[in-house]
Amino acid sequence: MRLLAVLISAVWLCCQTVQAQVRNYDEMIAAGELKVAVYKDFAPYSFEQAGQPRGVDVELAEALAKALGVRLTLIWAPAGEKLDDDLRDYIWRASALHNQQLADLMMRVPYDRDYAQKRNEFGEMENGHVVMFGPYQNEQWQVAYDQRRLDKVGSVAVFDSHPIGVEVDSVPSFYLTSVFNGMLAGKTHHYPGVPQAFAAMKAGEVDAVMAMRGEIDWQVHEAADPQLALAQNAYPNMGKQLWEIGMAVHESNRQLAYAVEEALEGLIREGAVKTIYSHYGLRYDVPEMYQ
Amino acid sequence: MTQPARRQPFVLSLLLSAMLLSGQALAAVSDQDILQDPKNPEQIVTNGLGVQGQRYSPLDILNVDNVKELRPAWAFSFGGEKQRGQQAQPMIKDGVMYMTGSYSRVFAVDARTGKKLWQYDARLPDDIRPCCDVINRGVALYGDLVFFGTLDAKLVALNKDTGKVVWSKQVADHKEGYSISAAPLVINGKLITGVAGGEFGVVGKISAYDPKNGDLLWVRPTVEGHMGYVYKDGKAIENGISGGEAGKTWPGDLWKTGGAAPWLGGYYDPETNLLLFGTGNPAPWNSHLRPGDNLYSSSRLALNPDDGTIKWHFQSTPHDGWDYDGVNELVSFNYTEGGKEIKAAATADRNGFFYVLDRTNGKFIRGFPFVDKITWATGLDKDGRPIYNEASRPGAPGSDPKGSSVFVAPAFLGAKNWMPMAYNRDTGLFYVPSNEWGMDIWNEGIAYKKGAAFLGAGFTIKPLNEDYIGVLRAIDPITGKEVWRHKNYAPLWGGVLTTKGNLVFTGTPEGFLQAFNAKTGEKVWEFQTGSGVLGSPVTWEMDGEQYVSVLSGWGGAVPLWGGEVAKRIKDFNQGGMLWTFKLPKDLVAKH
Repeated sequence: MRLLAVLISAVWLCCQTVQAQVRNYDEMIAAGELKVAVYKDFAPYSFEQAGQPRGVDVELAEALAKALGVRLTLIWAPAGEKLDDDLRDYIWRASALHNQQLADLMMRVPYDRDYAQKRNEFGEMENGHVVMFGPYQNEQWQVAYDQRRLDKVGSVAVFDSHPIGVEVDSVPSFYLTSVFNGMLAGKTHHYPGVPQAFAAMKAGEVDAVMAMRGEIDWQVHEAADPQLALAQNAYPNMGKQLWEIGMAVHESNRQLAYAVEEALEGLIREGAVKTIYSHYGLRYDVPEMYQ
Repeated sequence: MTQPARRQPFVLSLLLSAMLLSGQALAAVSDQDILQDPKNPEQIVTNGLGVQGQRYSPLDILNVDNVKELRPAWAFSFGGEKQRGQQAQPMIKDGVMYMTGSYSRVFAVDARTGKKLWQYDARLPDDIRPCCDVINRGVALYGDLVFFGTLDAKLVALNKDTGKVVWSKQVADHKEGYSISAAPLVINGKLITGVAGGEFGVVGKISAYDPKNGDLLWVRPTVEGHMGYVYKDGKAIENGISGGEAGKTWPGDLWKTGGAAPWLGGYYDPETNLLLFGTGNPAPWNSHLRPGDNLYSSSRLALNPDDGTIKWHFQSTPHDGWDYDGVNELVSFNYTEGGKEIKAAATADRNGFFYVLDRTNGKFIRGFPFVDKITWATGLDKDGRPIYNEASRPGAPGSDPKGSSVFVAPAFLGAKNWMPMAYNRDTGLFYVPSNEWGMDIWNEGIAYKKGAAFLGAGFTIKPLNEDYIGVLRAIDPITGKEVWRHKNYAPLWGGVLTTKGNLVFTGTPEGFLQAFNAKTGEKVWEFQTGSGVLGSPVTWEMDGEQYVSVLSGWGGAVPLWGGEVAKRIKDFNQGGMLWTFKLPKDLVAKH
């Protein structure tokens, strides 16, 4: 059923009884509310702590709503099998499983021309209903390791002998179990999420954890353990080493995209975004567009 | 009883109390009722018309000669806006019909009039993750309770008269991706269910509960390396690791998240006292990440119903790289060969092969293709293991150049999917709802998941023939010969029923419930139900007349697909209707 799951949400393709409405910019301003979709349980980007919404995406969405003069309403989105599913469910078609609710804006959508222009087997744009814009963060892979058990990570080859923790069904899992003909698969340990992989490192089950840089920075920040170090290794044969994270709106809603873009650029230039990232112990590199 | 003050004559009250007593005795479904189900045509208290799942009715009031007089008696709408795939098989007990609808709903309907007696709507959380539409495949009956599984992976017990919840139990955490769509079954006083959700990196399991109160009795993980448990007085007692130990057929720790979900439930064979369940594909999907057989994924398992111990297994697709779930039903049947009675079981796998196994030990007796085109394997060896065609295994994403593609048949939706086949004891044939389709799988460019970039794979399903995908086949399990076939333009997705009246019933996505001559395959009757038929038809006797019922409502997994298959089904409307037909008494003898 794996392949089924990939396309699962296409379930709703033919069969919506209630058509979800895309709000245009004027309607959004008149309603005084910006509805923003953020991923659920995805620290440090968007998560809940003691019942309070937290995370860089949450704070940035708040700052953007404020700049537009409206209040923020968050839509917590469980991640689908692929981003295409999330965009469909929250930006252009909605899903009966989420009460047909559409967001005006979705955070953490890559700013990647190849992806945005991707076509299906019939030559149709796969994400033609969506405008992806406003890069606000660079993303890359990162390994953190415990210096008590591992001196240094010269290359990923050390994980032939040192156990490493990854989130189940994640890119680091695909990567470490397949690279070099599966040589590292035996020492790759799977956990439900990055926090659990870090807990396993603390417990001595694994010597390192691989995840996205933001996730690693946050866990290292939270652990406050001087023996935890950030590796500088390369990731040979990794499809994409570095990418940019931005936002998405419906393609009929470019006016909102322009307004958000303008607000975002101001926040980046005045250092407000960097400050938000610092709340979570995250490094911040200004994306290329603003340099 | 509108005048309670009036004294009743003694005889009348005696009669009344006798009726009430017998009414109660009738009302409770017992273990005996369940085991005898195929022999009592006035009720249907098992999914499969008998625990073996043969879907054979001994009724012959309705037969191939008079079936043209079969006509609608009543119809019942599930109502609401929740018109999605309807895949349940109705149950009938004491003139009441029980069934599930899409979105985890249960209905009880007067079998004589179609009047609704009650409806139960499960309250579903926002974050359910059903794999393949919001369908459900039916209820189980036991005592005075009606059981079903929900999309958020709960077992719910309802009072059969009121529809009120008697107990509800979380079988698995829906937040991890588990759900339940199959009908549970009750065997020897135990309520047994599988789970769906293997694609989310969870581990499949089969669990048994006390039907009275929902107490967990045993649990058996379906992936090698996981401990099974029996529960005594609320305490978990270890009952052996599935497969003995971890890591024999899996690399690294991938067995911890191995999938193999038994999402289609199972059946039971009283002669060997075995539960027969199938398991889904292994995780992760990319087979290059998990060299080895990956037990017990894509397998059939025989379990002891008392404690969930695995007695034998048969793996139809070891090291599955094509999403050929091994969940399809294993139907017990006996046949005679060389003067000896063989206790066999047959299954028509997603992978395109039909297997006949010795159900006493799981040994392979014979296997043969039941669809016209199989490219992933060139055949089966003497133990039933596939002889792979490695050129048909999808490459590791990222390893081949972008755009490189392989064509594989059958498609991952299977030569036969969930829809149950039927076995006719008179003809000795299996009636198999099959589909002729293949798939292109290719490496595509960049994809993203939850903010992370990776190289993805794309795929599309392709019909193999211009004029049909679905093929209802009559297959001789002894010779491997196809006795007849009936083609259908759209893919078949509904269950099959066969009867002593030399009839085979099944539905089509085009909306027809159809009847065929079981011996010849001639279509002898059809009725347009107004939406696609994905349910499993049943037949039973009431007041001396033979009835047929089926759910109508298009949906399920097929409409998920774009590409060429979508063109064949895009005009089919949703539905949610229970149709009941009967052969009026005065027309039986006419033919």
